[in-house]
Amino acid sequence: MANAFVAAFEILSFGAIIVLIVLGLGIIASMMGIFNFAQGEFVLLGAYITYLAYAKGLPIWTGMVAAPFLVGALGFVLEALIIRRFYAAPIVAMLGTYALGLIIRESVRGLIGGFYLTVPEPIGGSIDIGTMHISAWRFTIIVITLLVMVGCYLLLSRTSFGLRMRATLENPSLARASGISTPLMYGATFAFGSALAGLAGALIVPVFSLYADLGIRFLIQGFVAVMVGGVGSFIGPVAGAGVIGTLSAALPWVMAPVVADVLVFVLAIAFIKFRPQGLIAGKGV
Amino acid sequence: MPKSMGAVKQAIPAEIGGETDAAMAERETAAQAAAERKILPFVEGVALVAALVAPFVLQDYLTVFATRVIILALFALSFDLVWGYAGIMSFGQALFFGSAGYGVALLARDLDITNIFLVLPAGTLIGLTFALLLGGFLLLGRHPSSVIFVSLGTLTGSYAADRLARGWYYLGGQNGIPSIAPMTLGGYEFSEGPAFYYLVLGILIVVYLLCRFLMRSQFGLALAGLRENEQRIAFFGYKVQHLKAIIFAIGGAIAGLAGSLYAFHEGFVWPNMVGVVVSTQVVLYVLFGGSGTLIGAVIGAVIVEGVSFWLSDNYRDIWPIILGLLLLLVILFRPLGLISFVLGERERVGSFGAKPKETKEKRNAAS
Repeated sequence: MANAFVAAFEILSFGAIIVLIVLGLGIIASMMGIFNFAQGEFVLLGAYITYLAYAKGLPIWTGMVAAPFLVGALGFVLEALIIRRFYAAPIVAMLGTYALGLIIRESVRGLIGGFYLTVPEPIGGSIDIGTMHISAWRFTIIVITLLVMVGCYLLLSRTSFGLRMRATLENPSLARASGISTPLMYGATFAFGSALAGLAGALIVPVFSLYADLGIRFLIQGFVAVMVGGVGSFIGPVAGAGVIGTLSAALPWVMAPVVADVLVFVLAIAFIKFRPQGLIAGKGV
Repeated sequence: MPKSMGAVKQAIPAEIGGETDAAMAERETAAQAAAERKILPFVEGVALVAALVAPFVLQDYLTVFATRVIILALFALSFDLVWGYAGIMSFGQALFFGSAGYGVALLARDLDITNIFLVLPAGTLIGLTFALLLGGFLLLGRHPSSVIFVSLGTLTGSYAADRLARGWYYLGGQNGIPSIAPMTLGGYEFSEGPAFYYLVLGILIVVYLLCRFLMRSQFGLALAGLRENEQRIAFFGYKVQHLKAIIFAIGGAIAGLAGSLYAFHEGFVWPNMVGVVVSTQVVLYVLFGGSGTLIGAVIGAVIVEGVSFWLSDNYRDIWPIILGLLLLLVILFRPLGLISFVLGERERVGSFGAKPKETKEKRNAAS
C-alpha cells in the first residue's frame, strides 16, 4: 500500500513537471505554429537565474519569482528581433530556434562549466502521512503546476487579452482589421510561453540540479507531448503532457527502464501517425 | 559579366511564377546561362584536386582528421539528398549513420567479420532497412504526413535510439563498443592513414557521381518539383509519398555506408552516434555549405569540421557559441548556404533530363 502510494506520487510529480514544461511549449506551438527548439534553453535560463540568486545569497524564492519575468522579457526581445522572420516557414523556424538554443545553451555551459550545481529546495523536508514520506517540494510543484494551469486557462478563456490572442491565432487578417495589433500579440504570446518555461526551470532546478543539458533533456518529450495532445488548443498539449509524463514515469515500474523509455516514444509516434489531430482536436482554448 | 548577372537575377522570380514564365526566362538567359553554368564543375574540380593532394600536403595526424571529414561529407551528402533535394526535414539522419556503425561493430566483435566486401554492404543495408522502416512508417499512409510530423518523428526516432543504445548492455551502454578490429581486404588491414583516406575518397566520389546522375535524371526533376510545390507535382500524377520514401531510403543507405566507414575508422562506436547530437551536426553541415547542391554539402562538412578542429585548441569553449551565431546568420541572410556566394540560383536548380541542349535549341529556333 505504502509502496503503491509512493509510486503514485512519483508518477504524479513527474507528470506535473512535464506539464509545467510543456505549457509554454504548447502555447507557442498552438498559438503561433512554431515548434520552439530554444524552449529547453529557456527552461535552462530559468534554472540558471534561480541558481544565480542562490549563489548571490538571496533567498531562493526571489530567483524563482524573477526567472519568469526575465526569461519572458528575453523571449519578447528575441521574438521581435529573430523569431518574427520565421512565421511563414515552420521548418526554418525549427532550425532558427535550434541555433538560438545552441547559443544560449553553450553560453550557459561556458558560465557554469561542466558541473552539476545543486540548488537547495526552498521548502525542504517531507510531508508525513502516517508511515509515508513525500517530498514537500515535489508536492509544492504539483500544487503550483495546477495553479499555473488554471491561471493560464482563465487568462486565455476569460480575459480580453486571451480573446485577442485567440483571435490573432484563428484569423490574423480579421484580427488586424478589427484593430488588434497582431505583431504585438505574437510578441506577447511568445514572451508568455518563454516566461512559463522560465518558471518551469526555476521550479525544477532543486529536483534535477543545474547543468547545461537540463533543458534539452525535456525538449523532445515536450514536442512529443504537444503532438500527442494536439496542436491548436491550449488544453491539447496539456493533456498530451499529462499522458506522456504519466507514461514515462509509470512504465519503468512495470518493465525494464530502457524498454519503457523507448516504448513511450514508439507508442506516441504511432498514435500521432494514426490520429494526426491529437487527443483533443480543434482550435481555441 | 554584370549584365548577365542581372539577367539571371530577373529569371529567379519568373521561374517561381510558373512554367510559361520559366520557359520564357530560359530562352532569354539561355546564352548567358551557358557561360554561368561553368561554376559548378569548376568548384567540384577544385574540391576534387584539393582532396586528392591533401594527404601529400598534410601531416599524418591531419590525414587521419581529413579521412574523418570525408566520411562526414558522405554523411552530409545523404542528408542533402533528403532535405536539399526532396524537402524532407530529417532530424534523425544519425539514426541510420549510427545504427549501421553499431551493426558493423557487432559484426566485427561477435562474428569476426571485417571483410570490406561484407561490412560495407552490410552497413549500407542496415541504413537502408532502417530508413525504409522509419520512412515508410512516417511518410506513407492514407493521409499525407505534415512536414512537422516527419521532422519531429525522425528526431524522436533518433532520440529513442540514443536512449536504447545508452541503456542496452549488449550494445555497451554509455561506453559504446570500443576497439573494433580494423577493416580487412584479404590479408590487408585498413588502418588510419593515406590508404584509408583514398578508400574513403574513392567511395565518396563514386557516391557523389551516382547522386549527381540521379539528381539530374527525371527522378531528380520530380524531386525538385516536389520540394518547390508538392501539390503541383501530385496533380501531375506523381505518387508524392512514394517519391519521398524512395529518396529517404537512398539517403538512409548512404548514411549507413558512411556510418560503417566511420565506425571502422574511429575504431569505436558510442551512443551519440545515433543520437540527436550527430543528427543536428549533419544539418549544420548542409545548411552552412548550401542545401540543394551536392558539392555544398561536402564543402559544408569540410568547413564546419575544419574550423572547429582549428579553433578547438584555443577557443574550445566559445566555438559552439560562434557556430550557433553563424548558423543563425546563415539561416537569416543566406538560406542557400555559403555556396550561394559563388553559385547563382539558375545554376543551383540546373537542367534536367536527357538532352536539355537540343530542346533549348529547338525552342530558340521556334521563337
